[in-house]
Amino acid sequence: MELAWYALLGLFFATYLVLGGYDYGVGLLLARNTDPGRRRAALNAVGPFFLGNEVWLVAAVGILFGAFPVLEGELLSGFYPAVLGALAGVILVTAGVQLRSRPAGERARARWDRVVVVGSALAALGWGALLGGLLQGVPLHDDGHVAGLTHLVTPFAATAALAMLALVTVHGATFLTLRLPAAEAARVGRLAHRLIPVALAAVTLATVAGLLSDRVRDAARQPLAGVLLPVALVAALLVARAALARRRPGFAFAATGAALALPVALVGATLWPDVLVSTVDPGASLTVADAAASTPTLRLLSWVALPLLPALLGFQLMCWWVFRGRTDGRAPVYW
Amino acid sequence: MDTLLLARLQFATTTSIHFLFVVVTLGLVTLLVGLQTAWVLTGDQKYERLTRFWGQLYVINYVLGIATGIVMEFQFGLNWSGLSRYVGNVFGAPLAIETLVAFFLESTFLGMWIFGWHRLRRGLHLALLWGVALTAYASAFWIMVANSWLQNPVGYEVRDGIAHLTDFGALLTNPSLGMAFGHVVSAALLVGGMLMAAVSAGHLIRRTPDHALHRTSLRIGLVTSACAITLVQGFGFAQFGPVGAVQPTKFGGGPEAEALTAEWATRFGPGDYTPPVLASVGLGFMILIGFTLGALWLLLPLLWRDWVIRLRFPLWLILLALPLPFVAVILGWIAREVGRQPWVAYGLLPVDQGVSPVGAPVMLTSLIGFSLLLGTLAVTNWVLLVRHAARGAGDPALGRPAGPATDTHPAPAFA
Ligand code: HDD
Ligand code: HEM
Ligand code: HEM
Repeated sequence: MELAWYALLGLFFATYLVLGGYDYGVGLLLARNTDPGRRRAALNAVGPFFLGNEVWLVAAVGILFGAFPVLEGELLSGFYPAVLGALAGVILVTAGVQLRSRPAGERARARWDRVVVVGSALAALGWGALLGGLLQGVPLHDDGHVAGLTHLVTPFAATAALAMLALVTVHGATFLTLRLPAAEAARVGRLAHRLIPVALAAVTLATVAGLLSDRVRDAARQPLAGVLLPVALVAALLVARAALARRRPGFAFAATGAALALPVALVGATLWPDVLVSTVDPGASLTVADAAASTPTLRLLSWVALPLLPALLGFQLMCWWVFRGRTDGRAPVYW
Repeated sequence: MDTLLLARLQFATTTSIHFLFVVVTLGLVTLLVGLQTAWVLTGDQKYERLTRFWGQLYVINYVLGIATGIVMEFQFGLNWSGLSRYVGNVFGAPLAIETLVAFFLESTFLGMWIFGWHRLRRGLHLALLWGVALTAYASAFWIMVANSWLQNPVGYEVRDGIAHLTDFGALLTNPSLGMAFGHVVSAALLVGGMLMAAVSAGHLIRRTPDHALHRTSLRIGLVTSACAITLVQGFGFAQFGPVGAVQPTKFGGGPEAEALTAEWATRFGPGDYTPPVLASVGLGFMILIGFTLGALWLLLPLLWRDWVIRLRFPLWLILLALPLPFVAVILGWIAREVGRQPWVAYGLLPVDQGVSPVGAPVMLTSLIGFSLLLGTLAVTNWVLLVRHAARGAGDPALGRPAGPATDTHPAPAFA
């Protein structure tokens, strides 16, 4: 049962990175766009999905708290700076996107757009650093607490953060290629195509930093999964590039989405059966089973949550279905 | 400064900001459901315009509810890892249920509602708002289940120093829950009603166009808040019974409180187990406000022949009274939460064992950072709310039909 909940946690966090990822990618791309109309059109392409995307994070943390209370405490407080950054970013994006069009003046909107850009960058960097930090292990002592904060300051965590930033940007551009009116889409399509080599470079850099780091090599419980991670990322990006060149934005979007979801699965697989690998005391590492809540709690959550999952997914699907297709290019209304 | 104090201050600041927004959400969504249902049933244009106007304010307010709520959720792990370690098995369950059952659907529905005007069928669009409202109530319920468990831990047993869930039903029948939930929900309705009445009063004082529209919402707001204040008082006094029974140390001493502190002293070691007087101060002033607002009933007879509007001074009273319920909700939470000290989970987990072992500098950074960030966003949000409220129901962006250039040339009605 722990495994099922662990998988569910991974599923929610991965879906958040895929869906929230394009929000942040679109947010980052606002920095390049000087035309207010285009910026607004980009945000309204995200439009109806925005609230439903961010809530995957809320649900993931809810699962983390309910089903893995011990992990929740150590994970969040052990990666304090990364979590703080990501959290600040999420808040800035949430507020910025929804409030930017409430003032009527273009100057105020441009200021809010800068908030969105900064927030998107912080969120992407923070989650990237967190995933990288998991791979390199934490100073978890046998009293069960993570001590110190500087363990996060490594080249590998930094390159992982940058790789996430690049992936998210590519993903956002691909989303816009899929969603904007056909005339606009060709332009962002070319942009996405040009961005993919940048993302490939960032992923390579992170891979090299990881291979050179003793901590990362020691922390990998299943090295094969660890090696598979960069390989899968590179493959997904190449597929996306080929699809963009052939004007198959749907296919490309699936590929960039996979590039954001795969890291979660593969980080989990690399560390398995641990979730937090200790760098100071091998015996202190936290396994998935130890991190989980006790059986009565998991059983309760299974009774309450599992029957609801189809409804949760169903309503999200309904949202995607109702607002499917390209935006129609008329003056956008709300965001 | 020690980490514990900083963590407590941070929790108090962020929850207070969160609550100032969600209390409006909860109150307004109830009224909005009424307005949109009336529009769909009668087809009356007036209700459509009211729905769009109040919906716009609701949606602006909602933004900060989400932003601050996310901080709340992360804060448990960031600053209170001891809480998740020792009681997470029990306390985490209602929170997990809340996020999955309530928030997830609420946000999904709201996104569709905002963008669904002119796109979805009327009935479906209305159903979405009903969904938003029901899930908002569900979220308030589950969060109150969690909070009530901290007030009065039930349905668990301690093994190896960690609490394990034994009886989930006990969490739902917790004596700390029932009346408190009723009290919170009626307080939200009071806030929503008074907000609606006050904004309408402002328009009627300034004699803006749309007299008929603002007259309607003034009446709805006044009647709602008068009924709500009575419920607030009723549930409020009804809380004294359960609180006295399960938390005798909360508001002043007495023989039971002394017996309990003596027992704690033997189990947990000697210490000061009386909460700060701030709890009773908060309680006192809240009750004072509660009685004052009872005067809302005196305004109802003036609805006859629009005397409220014609006399004008009642409009000013309504406008000036608007801060009172907001102050009261904060005072009420101070009473409830400070009165729980020095425990995170009353009689089970002392507050100093709940806090994360992070250094004071980091905690201070996080406290200052989040207070500034959320404080700035809160003030910005209120400024936007006031501006949009003052702009009136001319042409809110919410529910405006998409069309060329609606955005760059605001309609003259905006002025
Ligand atoms: C509009 C806001 C408002 C008003 C006018 C009142 N209250 Fe209240 N009160 C709240 C809003 C509130 C609250 C914010 O909703 C609290 C905080 C926690 C809770 O359960 O409700 C609360 C808590 C609270 C508590 C603490 C419960 C505990 O510690 O567990 C008591 C005993 C009362 N209230 C009683 C009253 C009485 C007797 C009132 C007046 C006649 C009154 N309240 C007016
Ligand atoms: C309903 C869900 C809530 C939960 C689960 C909750 C939980 C907590 C926790 C864990 C703390 C820190 C530990 C402690 O100081 O005991 C705390 C403190 C506090 N909370 Fe809440 N809280 C809730 C709602 C609120 C609301 C809505 C407010 C205010 C509007 C509030 C006001 C405070 C205050 C003032 C403190 C500081 C008390 C002190 O340390 O002396 N709480 N709460
Ligand atoms: C009595 C106290 C509380 C009430 C009545 C309450 C109610 C609500 C409501 C109605 C919302 C929906 C957003 C909005 O309406 O603006 C919300 C948002 C949120 N609340 Fe609270 N809340 C309380 C305390 C807390 C606490 C202590 C936490 C921490 C776990 C929390 C976590 C959240 C989160 C994560 C969201 C954002 C959900 C989203 O993304 O839609 N709330 N809250």
